[in-house]
Order: sequence, then C-alpha cells, then structure tokens
Amino acid sequence: MELVISEKVQARRRLMRRAAFICALAFGLLPVLLFFFPYVDFNFGGQQYSLSGLTVLTASGMRVATHGGSALVGLPVLMRAAVVAAPVFGLVGAALLVMKKVVPAAVAYALCAVMPVVSILNSAEIRTDVVGLGITRVSIAYDWGMLLVLILGLAAALFAMGLRGVERLAESIFLVFACVSVGSVFFIMLYMVVTGAPAIWQAGVADFLFGAEWDLGNEQYGTLALTLSSICATAGSVILGVPVGLLTAVFLAEVAHKNLANIVRPAVELLAGIPSVIYGFFGMMVIVPAIRDFPPFHGKTIGLSLLAVILVLAIMVLPTIISTAETAMRAVPASYREASLALGATPVATIFKVTVPAARSGILSGVILGVGRAIGETMAVLMVAGNLAQMPSLLGAVRLMTSGIAVDINYATAAQRPMLFGIGLLLFIFIMIVNISFTYISRKGVQMDVK
Amino acid sequence: MLSEAAMTAPKTGEKKSLYEKKRHPFDLCMKTLIYLSAAITVTLLVGILLYILINGIGHISWEFISTEYSQRASSPEKGILPMIINTVYVVVLTLLISVPIGVCAAVYLTQYAKQGRLVSAIRFATDTLAGIPSVLFALFGMSIFVSGFGFGYSILSGCLTMAICILPTIVRTTEEALLTVPSSYQEGALALGAGKLRVTMGIVLPCAVPGILTAVILAMGRIVGESAIFLFTTGTGYDMPNSLFGHIMAAGRTLTVHLYTMAKDGTAENSLEIAFATSAVLLILVFLLNRLAGALSKLLRKG
Repeated sequence: MELVISEKVQARRRLMRRAAFICALAFGLLPVLLFFFPYVDFNFGGQQYSLSGLTVLTASGMRVATHGGSALVGLPVLMRAAVVAAPVFGLVGAALLVMKKVVPAAVAYALCAVMPVVSILNSAEIRTDVVGLGITRVSIAYDWGMLLVLILGLAAALFAMGLRGVERLAESIFLVFACVSVGSVFFIMLYMVVTGAPAIWQAGVADFLFGAEWDLGNEQYGTLALTLSSICATAGSVILGVPVGLLTAVFLAEVAHKNLANIVRPAVELLAGIPSVIYGFFGMMVIVPAIRDFPPFHGKTIGLSLLAVILVLAIMVLPTIISTAETAMRAVPASYREASLALGATPVATIFKVTVPAARSGILSGVILGVGRAIGETMAVLMVAGNLAQMPSLLGAVRLMTSGIAVDINYATAAQRPMLFGIGLLLFIFIMIVNISFTYISRKGVQMDVK
Repeated sequence: MLSEAAMTAPKTGEKKSLYEKKRHPFDLCMKTLIYLSAAITVTLLVGILLYILINGIGHISWEFISTEYSQRASSPEKGILPMIINTVYVVVLTLLISVPIGVCAAVYLTQYAKQGRLVSAIRFATDTLAGIPSVLFALFGMSIFVSGFGFGYSILSGCLTMAICILPTIVRTTEEALLTVPSSYQEGALALGAGKLRVTMGIVLPCAVPGILTAVILAMGRIVGESAIFLFTTGTGYDMPNSLFGHIMAAGRTLTVHLYTMAKDGTAENSLEIAFATSAVLLILVFLLNRLAGALSKLLRKG
C-alpha cells in the first residue's frame, strides 16, 4: 500500500512552518525595539529612576541625594553588558534563522531571554551601594521592557525549535527543564563554596576552625564551639537512639505478631512525618522543664541545654533508624534463620547472631541516615538549645552549627553573611562525608548480596 | 553459633528432654530489652501525639480557624485564617514551580539522556542536595531571592527557595516511577510507529502517574512541615491577603512559622494556647496527608 499524504495536509504543514518562522523572526527582533523602552525602575527612599536599556548603557550612574549632599551610584558593568547583549543575541538569532541555521538560532534566542535575569542578579550590587549610603528604603522593580525580553526570547526559541518538528521541540523543552533543575543543584553548591570559602580564608582557616569564640558584634569568627556542640549532640542522639531504634526494628521484623506490627509500623511512619517545630515545641514544653526540675540537676541548669537537644534529636532520629533497619532485616533470607534454628539456636540467639549480622549494612545505612538528620536539624534544636555560643557541657546552653546560622541570619550585616556561608560550607562538608559513606556502604551491601 | 546453654548441656552429661524448657538468661534479658524498646518508642509516639492533641484540641474552634490574627494583646482576634491561607499559597505555588520542572527533568534523564557517567553524576548531585539541611536553603534563599533579586520577605521568595529544596526529591521519585514502567510497553508503542514524544506522553507518563502523585503528596507534607526556610524567606507577616496575585509579593507566615513565633516570642498571655491549637491543626493536616499517601501507594501496589 502506498502511503499518501494529501495535498491539504501538506499545505497546512507548510503554512504552519511559515507562521512559526515569521513568529520566531519577529519575536527575536522585538528586543532590539525594547532597548528604548522602560527597562528597570529604581526607587531609593522616594527618588525615582526609570531607566531604558539605552540609559542603562550610556548613563554614568544615578545621582542619589543623601543626608550630606549627593553621591553617584554606578551601574554594574555586567548589567550594562547584559542590557546590550539581549538585543544583540536577538539580532544574531534572527540572522541565523534567515540562514536556515535553526538550532543555533534557538540557542541565541534563549541566551537573549537569559540576559534580563543576569541584570536582575546584578542589581544586588546597586542595592548594597545604596544601603551603604544610609538609605534603607530601596526598591528595584523590573519594568515590562525587561519582562518582555525574557518572554519573547523564550517564545522565539520555542518557535525556532518548532521548525525542526514537534519531536525536536519536545526534546529541547525537556532538556531545558533538566538543565534548570540540575543547574539549580549545582548553582547552590557553587554559591556556597564561592561565598563561604573566601570568608573562611579571610577569617583565617585555623582561627575559623579552632577559634573558640563566635561573636558577630566583636567580629570573632571561631566555630570550634559550634562544631563541637554539633558533634556532641549528634553523637549523643545516635548513642541513645540507635539501641532503642534497632531493638524496636527487631521487634517489628522478628518478634511482634503480624497484626501488632501492622499497627506500630504506620505509627512509626507518622512519627517521621511530624514537623520538626512540633518536636521543638514538645521539647520546650515537656523535656526542658523536666530537666530543669529533675532533682539531681536542680539549680544547676535552666533546662535549655545540650541534654535537651540530645533527647529531642534522639526521638527525631528514631523513625529513620527503625524503618531502615526493619527493611534490612526483612530482606534477610528466611533460609538463614531456618538453618540457625535447625542447629538448635534459640530464636533470640538467631536474631542477634544471624539476622542482625546479615542485615548489618542496611542497619548501618539507617544509622548514617539518622546521623544526617540529626546533624542538619535546625528548628527543634533552636527551640531547646538555649543558643549560647559556648563550649558544650551536658547541662549548659549550647549553639549548634545549624542553629548558629539560624540565630545570626537576621543579625548579620551583608558583609558578615559570608561567614554564615562559611559555617554552611563546614556543615555541607560534614554532610558530604556522611553521604559518601552512605553510598559506599550501600554499594558494599549490594556487592555482599550478589556474592 | 549456638547459645551458651545449648553448647554446655551435653558436656555435663545431663540428659534433658526435648520438650523440657531450658532457661536462657541471655535470651530473657534481650527479649525484655526488645519489648522495652518497642514500649519506649510507642510511648513516645503516643505521648507526643496525645500531649499535643489534648492540650490543643480544646482551643480549636470555628472561630479560631476562621478569624484574623492581631498582635495587640487587647485584640480579641487570635485566629489562624491568614496562616492557613498562606500555607495553602505556599504549597500550591511551590508545587506549581517544582513539579513541572522536576517531572520534565526526570523525563529527560530517563527517556532522552544517554545513560552514562554524566547521568550518574547528576544523580549523585541530586542525592547530595536532598540531604542538605533546610537552614542552608534558608540562608541561600535569603541571600539570593530576598536581598539579591529584591523580592523581599515574600511568599514568592519562600516558594522559589522551597521549590529548589524539594526539586531533587521530586526528580528522583519521578525517575524511579518512570523506570518501573515495563520497557515492553514502550517497545510495543514504538513498533506500532509512535514517535518518542507520543510514547512518553501517551504511555510512560500515564503509567507513572500514581508514583508521581505519591511523590507530590510527600512533597506537600514536607512543605507543610517546613519552618526554617519560611521563617527566613517569607517572613512573619500576618495580614489577610487583599488580592489573589498581589499576595504573592507580600510577607506571610505559614502555620509552622506561626507556631514557632507563638511558642518562642509570644507576648500575649494566651500565646501558648494558640501554639498548642496550631500544632494540633498541623498534626491533623500531616496525618491526613500521610493517610492519603498511604492509600495511594496501596493503590499503586494493587494496580
């Protein structure tokens, strides 16, 4: 049978292609026009500046009246470059399109659309400059010129890709979204390193890591107290949480009647889903007063202490440890248990000498996940720790790395915020170590199973 | 690897009947510990739930969830309606941003990308990001969206930050859901002459919908329960929204942030009561979402 595409369908396809071509061309050329239209609005304490792309490029700066006269606020070079680059990329894209180079044209259009975002990123520099002049009410708004460049650029890129057929269009859309999500992941990591590392360097690596005093007001940036507190709190919660969690997992996987396990298991899952502020609130209302009023500690502590942090975190890591360990123990083949029982070992001896050792890689990864959760917990810790940056002692108030960031986030000046990213970087390294060991152990576990 | 009692019994020459129960101190001890641990876990869980619910439910009334909130101690308005609305805003907007991006990214990574070093590197990076504490995201969102982009303390800043925070989880779970679709389905469709796009949109994605939905509900639970990110990016405003879209640029505290501020810096004499009632509302919300996800995954296993 011969495959015939009717004349009508062919004509319609040709028309659609032509329409897409014209749209792509027009949308690509519009940013050139928009160069002369309102692009960005600055408002510095009542002084209004509405700039078009052309003014952004040519103006030497914005004269801002301050208390003692006036000052010139310059425009960042990158912002000027981005403003010019948008229409240039639009023109290049249109030229490429006319030359029938569709994919490069779409890329040029996409770059054109990204340029307004670059200028938005750069407006932060203007903000810090103006705030430095003592003006607190600063607002930067993006006018429709900028928004249109963004939208038109994207639309033009889509139409250009559409010329290559729906399949290619869809693939490129998926690709763009993949780039956005992967890009945001890498951007966060990069941002943390780029902001945090120079801050650590500036404070002095040794001083930052081993300095005992953390005080933003006196510009003391030693994180030893925070790091040690974090390590103590995590270790304490794991030491308390692991035995209880492991034995509960044994109960669920091996000992309990099926019906009972089916009630307890969803309850444990629910425990994992409770928001951390509620744990913090519970700790604040119950655990902290209990520590304060506990007879042997009476008068020695206000309740907000490392001990309270450890207890709250121990409760919070329980569900993670329980569910991972239980899954691991259930995965142990029944033949192991049967062999052990047949040799005359009691059920309990079978559990602790056969099942648990066989499931040890799974159990260990549960513990590591628990460590990850404990070390990263913020709000619950913030509510029960007392938040004094001092060396950890069981009954004294402590400040952990996470709560340290949270406490100072509102007090740090723009110049001091990189220091917080320094703590963040440290925390990130800790978590990376935990994660890599987790990947290593779970991979090893898989290898063991294959053997 | 036998228990001690079993090893020593033959040596002493005592002949014990098979049916006679032997005493194993180790066993007894461990068994007690197992039951004790399970009891501790269950007591903790039931204790926390009951403590919050008993103290909170008494203060929940229709008035509480349908009126506005006012900071002044003399004002009778102590409701949480604005916080409920803010929470809904945050959940909807965050999902609107992150789900399309995440699902499309997962489609690309599983259906289009060449499976190799690059894709596994991306997987490792997303896994790592999934384990980063939320306070780091808060710090990031604060520097980039609140002050960098100049969105200020607003629902938009919070949603963008939260979207980046849950994106790795959504990508990973969607990927897993997409990978469980049998390749024979795709091969069948391809053999019938369907293009790659049609196979993806018509076969693979519909088959993976329950898995994606479970991921979305879990993400909802996470957004509802998140507090650190919202405290530092959406701020602590409590005004009633006056316009549907204008509210996106306004500061607004979610339920969790309200609970935190009430518990930590509440000045009114009944702020603890409000905190209890808010946490009870939160618990009920989380419980409902948890059940919904459970029901969905049960449906998934059946289908």
